[in-house]
Amino acid sequence: MRPLCTPADHRVSRRRWLGAAGAGLAGLCTPAVAQELRRRRKQVLFIWLDGGMSQLESWDPKPNTPFGGPLRAIPTSVPGVHISETLPQSARVMHRLAVVRSVSTQDNSHSAGVDRIQRGDPKNRGVVYPYFGSAVAKLAGAGDSGLPPYVWVKPMNGGFIYKDAGFLGPRYGALALGDGRPPENLLRPPGLDAAADDERNALRRLADQRYAAGRRPEHTEANSYAFEMAAQLQRRVELFDLSRLPARDQQRYGTHDLGRHLLLARRLLEAGVTFVKVTSYGWDSHGDHFNQALSQHPKFDQPFAAVIEDLHDRGMLDDVLVIAMAEFGRTPRINGHVGRDHWPEAWSVCMAGRGIKRGVVAGATNATGTDVATQPHDIGALFHTWWRALGIDPETTQFRNAGQPLPIAHEEMTPVTDVLA
Amino acid sequence: MPRLVAVLAAVALVVADARADLAPRIDALVDAKAKADGAQVSPPADDGEFLRRATLDLAGTIPTAAEAKAFLADPAPRKRDKLLDRLLAAPTYAERMTDLFHGALMERLGDHPEWTAYLKKSFAANTPWDAMARDMLRADPKNPDTLGAAFFLAKRLENYGQNPVDHSALTRDVGRLFLGKNFQCCECHDHLFVEDYKQQDFQGLHAFFRNATLVNAAKLHVGEKLTTEKLAFASVFTKVAMATAPALPGGKMLDIPTFPKGQEFAEPPDRKTNSPGVPKFRTLAAAADLIPRAENRDFARNIVNRVWFALLGRGLVHPLDMHHARNPGSHPELLDLLADEFVTHKFDLKWLIGELVRTRAYQRSSRLPADAVMSDPWYFGTAIEKRLTADQLLNATVAATGADAKAAEALRAKFHKAFDNPSRDPEDEIAPSLRAALFVLHDPAVLKLFDPAPGSLVSRLAALPDEQVADELYLTVLTRRPTAAEAQTVRELLARHAGGRPAAVGRLAWALVASMEFGVNH
Repeated sequence: MRPLCTPADHRVSRRRWLGAAGAGLAGLCTPAVAQELRRRRKQVLFIWLDGGMSQLESWDPKPNTPFGGPLRAIPTSVPGVHISETLPQSARVMHRLAVVRSVSTQDNSHSAGVDRIQRGDPKNRGVVYPYFGSAVAKLAGAGDSGLPPYVWVKPMNGGFIYKDAGFLGPRYGALALGDGRPPENLLRPPGLDAAADDERNALRRLADQRYAAGRRPEHTEANSYAFEMAAQLQRRVELFDLSRLPARDQQRYGTHDLGRHLLLARRLLEAGVTFVKVTSYGWDSHGDHFNQALSQHPKFDQPFAAVIEDLHDRGMLDDVLVIAMAEFGRTPRINGHVGRDHWPEAWSVCMAGRGIKRGVVAGATNATGTDVATQPHDIGALFHTWWRALGIDPETTQFRNAGQPLPIAHEEMTPVTDVLA
Repeated sequence: MPRLVAVLAAVALVVADARADLAPRIDALVDAKAKADGAQVSPPADDGEFLRRATLDLAGTIPTAAEAKAFLADPAPRKRDKLLDRLLAAPTYAERMTDLFHGALMERLGDHPEWTAYLKKSFAANTPWDAMARDMLRADPKNPDTLGAAFFLAKRLENYGQNPVDHSALTRDVGRLFLGKNFQCCECHDHLFVEDYKQQDFQGLHAFFRNATLVNAAKLHVGEKLTTEKLAFASVFTKVAMATAPALPGGKMLDIPTFPKGQEFAEPPDRKTNSPGVPKFRTLAAAADLIPRAENRDFARNIVNRVWFALLGRGLVHPLDMHHARNPGSHPELLDLLADEFVTHKFDLKWLIGELVRTRAYQRSSRLPADAVMSDPWYFGTAIEKRLTADQLLNATVAATGADAKAAEALRAKFHKAFDNPSRDPEDEIAPSLRAALFVLHDPAVLKLFDPAPGSLVSRLAALPDEQVADELYLTVLTRRPTAAEAQTVRELLARHAGGRPAAVGRLAWALVASMEFGVNH
């Protein structure tokens, strides 16, 4: 396993993480774009199927072909569009989805793939690009939700994952909720009443204010940001209590990890979080692939269809861009362990919601699914597509890193216009 | 003109001290650069700030209120030097250095009691840095005195889950931590942005370490397999086949000796005892011999830069592991001077530290000069705040709140969990930590420190008359007297809570311990 090349002398000092904060949106985009940003809400639900979901057992089935495997294709709510029988619920809501079947990317290792895909693989400029979540947090802002702009719901551990932010600086990192749970120590202990808590925090802020006068701002601002985030989350503790939701919701999403986590994601989006990433692990099926697909894909299918329906019912699909993807697809060739290996050459990404056409399939692979038969789309093209869908123009919007203007998407690529509304 | 006289007088005072012969030369270089570029320089730290800074840096904790009072009241002109002498001679010096070097060298990969014991013993004896580095790189399983040092290699030779042993990361870490050069990108190709860093540099260094193997993790037994031929590699760009024997970056390749078959081992492998044997040609021994040497400039420059960073808050070369021709650092002559003198003084860390803490650069205030723009940090014109390590923070919290030793030990693991950077993350930068904020806000064990208890700060303060509380509180927690405004805040609060006085005092004390001023070494 080759470690990812991360040139340390080009990493931006975390000390500078607040440097751009004062400039805000104005420093990043033209006034017209900033105005547009303020007018409409922009949210993203990013579902990451870590390890790589098989396109052949999901969005691009090839039944009765040499590499098609034993599973069937089923019709969907869009006449003429078929997807794998492992996704019956998604088939039911296909008229709200768009699938790009012509995705072709560069990295076939997990370590490089996850990073390159989520950072949009811009041309190497010697800086560490932000993950899509951090980029959206920066460009779309936190809105008036009173919650951090980038929240990551994932199995296992949580924490504040500042590394996602790359050169944007740690403020744009991800607040990770391990297993959807609130962070440790979130609740004020029973012995401490609210008035006493307010008083001691007011004293603390006063002390910080006095200390900061005449000193470098970095430490104090980093510290206040952490305490602010803590206060924000405390005000919204109820978000983490799924038991307050109707039992029907929990049944529709399922009680498994991805089910609970997507239900929490819906709640976070309803509460106004700008970017919610939900990660599911266990998709890297190098062996016994078809049994794994039969057990794993329904765990995605059920809550995915549920969240699409819920966002639609609430009128939120006009605001929320939904993306379901992984770092690559899986090989058409079935290996000796009845598995499928890593296949960045030809795979599929599903999206829906804000700025995206409903009920379309863009691009196609060849008859056996080994290659893209239409124009191939690298991750840079998808970033262009998503920025456009969010109403952020990649031609006129730039990041600024210590004065250096940097494109928000690979400048030699263009969006997948077939799926743009 | 009076200012110049004052400066000259200060210089004369330091020069008069025979022990501090390096400090004025350091200050001359730092001041010359600031002056040439018109960078603002802050006045010297006041006694309280200096006492707190030096105690945290050299003893890993804060002074007691009594120590603070005594130091502030001491009229002796050389009281700062005396304090530094005392701190450098105290047993707490070895404890603090152990915390500092453990963090820098292991980057929270893990810990081992033998390793901690080795570090403590070495710093207590002021073992020269070259000897310590030699112990770590040699990892001699037969020498019980230095066995703990093997943890540096042993921990990095462990498997992580199902991943194979990451020898490349070990090579990278040796380059970063002992030579100040991060060759990570050069594993697969010449560095794309750093001309000096070649793939040969990584691979030559890798040839020393790629055959190292972990025989027994618990016993810190590191062995090595035979090295019989050159390491083959090719750039992923040019695909040209290359090969290298063990070689230091930019240095000559070693000759790989050939032995008749069956005679490669000084001590043959033994399947019964699971011993890998001891090769006659030991590349780890070769690395331990070649890296920590006076002639190896990288070795000396790296460590003086890291010690400078630990005390002054930023490396002369920054990031610490990016020494190269196009990143000569803020004060190239100063780095050369430090490296030369450190070698001349036989890699004596305590001597180096003693010199650095006696500089005016170290002793400046962290406050801006009045009505001035703060200069960029690399001028060292204003003291740079350093985040406290989990151990420093725990020691300081315990000292401030008067918690007993048992309570302190119970808190250690919690403090590490709350305040440590993620493992493998260098500790040279600040990141906002939600976990730490919530820990300070709500963890019951933290809050308990602010309940009244025999000998606790809160009980002591609650028993004082109102007008004495602020002084005692600020001296105990922040090593300084309160300003008029701060004293007034305290008086007003006490007046509001004539009833629940201990609880109100507890909130006051908590607010100061949770504040920025407490959480950094300023």
